[in-house]
Order: sequence, then structure tokens, then C-alpha cells
Amino acid sequence: MYAADHENCRFYRCLGSGSLARGATIRHRRTVQSRNEQGGPTRRAMLGMLPALAIGACARSTGVAPLRVWAMSYEGDYSPHLMPGFTAATGIPVEVQSLPSTASHEKLLTAHAGGALPDVLMLFNGWIREFAMIRAVAPVPSPALTAGLSPGIRDALRIDGRDYAVPWSVAPQVQYYRTDIVGEAGYAAPPLDWGGWLTMARAIKRRRPDNYVFLMLLNWPGALLTMMTQAGATMLRDHATRGNFRSDPVRAAFAYYANLFAEGLAPRAASTEVQDPLAAFAQGYFAIWPSSPTTLLDLRRRATDIPPERWATARLAGPNGPGPVSGDSASLCVSTTTDRPAEAWALVRHMTSRDSELTFQRMIGNLPARLDAWDAPQLALPVLRAFREQMAQPAPIPPVVEWERIQGEIQLAAERVVRGLQTIGQALTALDERVDQLLAKRRALVDAGRIA
Amino acid sequence: MTRQSRAAWLFTAPVLTIILIVLVIPTIAALALSVTDYSVYALADPGNLHFVGIDNFVELLATPLFWRSLKNTLIFAVLGVPMAIGTSLLAALLLNDATVRWKPLWRVALFAPYVTSVVATAVVWRFLFNERFGLLNQGLALIGIPRVDWLGNPNSSIPAILIFVTWKIFGYNMIVFTAALAAVPQDLMEAARLDGAGRWLRFRHVTLPAIGPTLLLAAVMSVAGFLQIFAEPYVMTLGGPAQSTTTVLYFMFEEGFKWWNLGQASAVAFVLFVMILLLTWIQSRIGRRNEWL
Repeated sequence: MYAADHENCRFYRCLGSGSLARGATIRHRRTVQSRNEQGGPTRRAMLGMLPALAIGACARSTGVAPLRVWAMSYEGDYSPHLMPGFTAATGIPVEVQSLPSTASHEKLLTAHAGGALPDVLMLFNGWIREFAMIRAVAPVPSPALTAGLSPGIRDALRIDGRDYAVPWSVAPQVQYYRTDIVGEAGYAAPPLDWGGWLTMARAIKRRRPDNYVFLMLLNWPGALLTMMTQAGATMLRDHATRGNFRSDPVRAAFAYYANLFAEGLAPRAASTEVQDPLAAFAQGYFAIWPSSPTTLLDLRRRATDIPPERWATARLAGPNGPGPVSGDSASLCVSTTTDRPAEAWALVRHMTSRDSELTFQRMIGNLPARLDAWDAPQLALPVLRAFREQMAQPAPIPPVVEWERIQGEIQLAAERVVRGLQTIGQALTALDERVDQLLAKRRALVDAGRIA
Repeated sequence: MTRQSRAAWLFTAPVLTIILIVLVIPTIAALALSVTDYSVYALADPGNLHFVGIDNFVELLATPLFWRSLKNTLIFAVLGVPMAIGTSLLAALLLNDATVRWKPLWRVALFAPYVTSVVATAVVWRFLFNERFGLLNQGLALIGIPRVDWLGNPNSSIPAILIFVTWKIFGYNMIVFTAALAAVPQDLMEAARLDGAGRWLRFRHVTLPAIGPTLLLAAVMSVAGFLQIFAEPYVMTLGGPAQSTTTVLYFMFEEGFKWWNLGQASAVAFVLFVMILLLTWIQSRIGRRNEWL
């Protein structure tokens, strides 16, 4: 509802802020006068007043044009709540547009090509290199902006020694598990090594043969990428110009992943089929769900379906215990095309401040990247401990702009194995070929010395 | 130039200008792009843009996903066109029967899906197709057919989307056919009946020749439509499962807009353009042979 109203206001403001609103008011007055001359309100006059009212309602007293912000998913939906503080302190209004995360990559690229990027934009951490390369985002002008951040997170985002983004919303994956179902199988908490995880899963499946144990959506690469990283895979070779997927760690991760489906421990389902994962989790359709901190918000919203004592969080299992995990952490960037860079960076500073980060954590669950936020009592909750430990160990992001696309190809290869269309050997050979094809352009540029 | 032809040019000039700006020039530009290696690197630095001749087409032919998407698109067209047109014709024939009452109501009800939003109806149909709770599977269970994982099985995903598409679009051609059926000469129909022709013979020799041109038009439009199918797989399955619903246009969208490989995507667009042109040409030849055009 909020978003719709906001959108309406934006539309009318786009028509030309203050002067138009005044013009409409004048027209409105004229309408009223003519109505008086005619003696009595006509339906047409009343209808004519509606747009004037709409514009009048949206007109702002300040003459300052708003800063534009684009953000994805829950970050986009809830960012407007961070803005009143900024507007009160600076007098600059802010307009947030929320993008659906599945369509955001193309939207951002197209906007850059068309010169229509907003002043401030959120990028998932894996995209920063790409957007820095196409000169869509500006380098961070002052080290003060990235001071006091968790060093592991900041350093992972540095490109050729420069910062292009300020880490904002940290979202490592952990496993959400149903305490009752795991408990029935004789475990206080899920084991954190692959062997133990599998043993527990089999025990749960024996007790509940009609349901599943894990939810790992077949079109989302997070779970598999984490397994590959934890198995110690180096995904690209030859200065990251070729795929390196026919290696033992990748094979091991693929085998472990595919086996979960083959044994019926995870449903062969994509995000398009699981319409309401929360309801399925509440019904016990699956007991363990690798997911990001925003699921905390979903679980709070659905507390009547699944009360807090029925679930808990733990770090994801690795081959020999927990390790680096891939996630959907996001950062804030300022576009190179903004004509108000100082104000845009001030807004980034506000959005990544301790207060904003803590407010955001309370609202959507995602964690602060700022170290001094971590002494706040709200972050001492037991349910956040797994995130806190996991946060310091983000999975490395290979330094190629094609990475987002390669992730998708990895998952497609895995899907073919899970559906029995290819063996692991065939899938990995095809994956190497495909990735070599995707990296052909990069290879040519590296060979020509045009990029490092 | 006579005064008359000058006036004719004057009247057509606005439309011709628009066609030039939004159709001819972009088509030529796309063709020009298809012989370059425009990619995200060219977006970063125009110095990375090169003329590559037919390399994009060669690479396209070596990309398995392109062939798979071509195959998927052809399955969509081969199954979808008869399915959609058959349903439209059947519905129109039923509505045309003199014994049917409340015709306007039926017409509106059957036409309604065509004017609703794809995204909204796709959400509803995703629930109908749900393997565990879907209405469709519950209906199948009543007649003893086991559950089908409609959108999760690579073999049933195209039929599932086709059921949705047929439901969505058959209303349009139904209205067109209804209009054509109203023009079928009744005296011929009665003469045929007096000569002892049954329902099928009357349909074959009286109705069909009369609605032939309309049928051809519907076929041409449907083939072009099904070859360009995109929105339905995009909102129902995201091209999955296992890329079984990735169509040529979907492939082009991903290459071009998602990953910004505009060179490659333009090559796909050109292939699709040639395909549709060829098929339409063949159809019009068939139509001419049957004297429908």
C-alpha cells in the first residue's frame, strides 16, 4: 500500500514539481468559480478536482528535488523508513524505488546504458565489479565512509585497491531448522559436518517419509556454491579466464548435493513451484532451510503459523565443519551520472550509519556491516549468533564481471544432474565448455593486455 | 505526381514516418549490431567494440542452448497453433448454434481471459498446476490419473504452459470466427441439408470454405505469436525446469538485456525474423493455392 501511494506521488512530481501543482490549484479555483456561476456543483467539476487534489497532496513545501535511490527486495521495501531522519537533518527529500531482485540486474544495466541510473543504488556484492567496470558507479571519495566496517567484508569488495561501494546489508546464509523435528530425530541441533548432516537427514526422513528434510531450490545457486566453496574448489583458472569445474572438490560438492535429491531428502522443486515456503516450513514439509537473515522478518510476520520456539538457526554444515558461505549481501553505491555527488554520499553515510543499520536489522533482519553496531543489545539474541559467526567468513567472489552469469550456469548444470538428464562427469564437462565460451571475450581482452 | 497521389502521400506520411522510426531504422540498427561483438565490455569502453562479420551466427549455431530453445519454440508452435485455433473454432461453432441461449454472456465470459493481465493469471495458474494442492491434479485424481508435476517436470512443462496460453488467448480468435461464421450463407447451408449432407459434410464443404480466409489469417497470426512466445514462460517457469521452456525470444532476452550481449542477441533476433518471414510466406502460398487470398 505504502509503495503504491509513493509511486503515485512520484508520478505527479515527475510532471514538474511545484509550478505544476500551483497551476493545478489555479485551475481548481477557476473550476470552483465557474461552478458558482453555474450555480451548484456539477459532476464534471467534481471529477476535475480529483487530479488537482492528488497533485496538491503530493506537493512538498521544500523546493529541493529529491535524491533518488534504487534498492532491491526487502531493502527496497523498507528503505523509506530510514529516510525521515536524513530529510529532517538536511532538508533533502529522498525517493526510494523498490526493484524486484529477480529483474534488477537487467534493469540496472539498461538504466546505465540509457543514462537513467538514480543517485544512489544498491548492488549485490557480486555485481560491484561489473558496474565499476562499466563506469556506472563512482569510487568512494573518502576513506571515512568505509572506516569502522568489518574488514573481511570491506576487503572482499575492493577492486584494484579502490572501494566502489559501502557495505550495507550483510546477509550470510545459515540453516533455519525446525527444533521439534530435529529433536524427534534425537538431535539438539543439526550437526555441522557433511557426514553428520546426512545421518541426521536420513533419521528424519525415516520418521517422516512423506516429507522432505531440506529445501534447496533448484534454480537458486546459493546452497551448491557454498558447498563448492567449502569443499575448497577454485572455480576459475588461467587468471580467471577459463572454467575449472572438472576438479575433485567440485565433483565432491556436486555428488553431495545431487545425493540429497536422489535420496529424497530434498524436493526437486524450483522457486516457481514453492509458492509459500513459509507455510511449507510451518507444516513440516521440510525441516531445514538454508536461507538469509530476511527470513527472520518472514518468520516474525508468520509467527501465528510457526511460533518462535519451533525454529532456530545454526551455521551451514561443511565437509569438516562450518566454513565460508555465499550470501546475498548488498552494498550502496553512487552513480557516476548523479549531478549531486556530495549529497548522494551524505545519504550513503546516513544509510550505513550505526543507527540506520540497527533500525534495518530490527525491521528486515539483515545484519550491520559496521563493527561498532555489534555491541547493541538487539544483536545479542541467540537466534543471531549463527549469523554473527558466519558473517566474518564470506565466500570469495571470483574477480570476473561474468560471475553472476556463471553462477547461473553452475546451477543449471546441477539441475541437469539432479533431474537425471546428465551424469556429474557430463555436466561438469559441459559446464567447463560453457564457461569457457562465456569467458572468451574476457580471455581475448586479457591476452591483448586491455584488462588485468 | 498528380494531385490525387500527392494527397495520398500526404495522408500516409504520418504512418510511414512512424513505421520508419520505430520499425525500419531499429531493424537496420539491429542488423548492424548483429555483426559486431557488442557486449558488456563494449558498454565499458567503446574501444572494445569490433566488427566480427558472421561470427555471432557461427557461435550461435555452436551454442547448445540456442538449439534447445529453437526446439522448444517449435514444440510450442506445432502443438500450440492447432490447440489454440481448434479451441477457438470449437467455441465459435458452439456459440454459433441457434440453440445456445445468453450468447453475449458466453462471448464475454470466454473473451475475458484475453484481456486480463498475464502476470496475474499466471500466478493463479501456478496454483492450479501445483503438484500437491493444485485443482488440476485433484481433478485428475477423481478419474484415477496419478499426480502430474506440471511445472516441475521438463516433459510436462511445455504442455502445462500451452494449456494456460490456450485458455488465455482462444477468446480473441473465437470472436473473429464468430464474425466469420455469421457470414456463412444460410441458403447454401439449407441446400446442402436438403441434399442430405450431414453435420461434418456441411462443415467441410460449406462452413470451412466460407471461413477459409479468416482461418488463414488466424493461423498466420498464431504462428507468429507462438514463435515469439516469451511472457508466459517468463512468469510461469523462468525458462525452467532444466531450460525446458526457454524459447528463442527468452534466450534473446537473457542474452541481450540480462547480460547485455547485444551482438549475440541481435543475431538471434535476425534468425527469428527470417524464420517468421519464411513461415508466413509458406502460409500465404498455401492460402493462394486454395484461393483464400
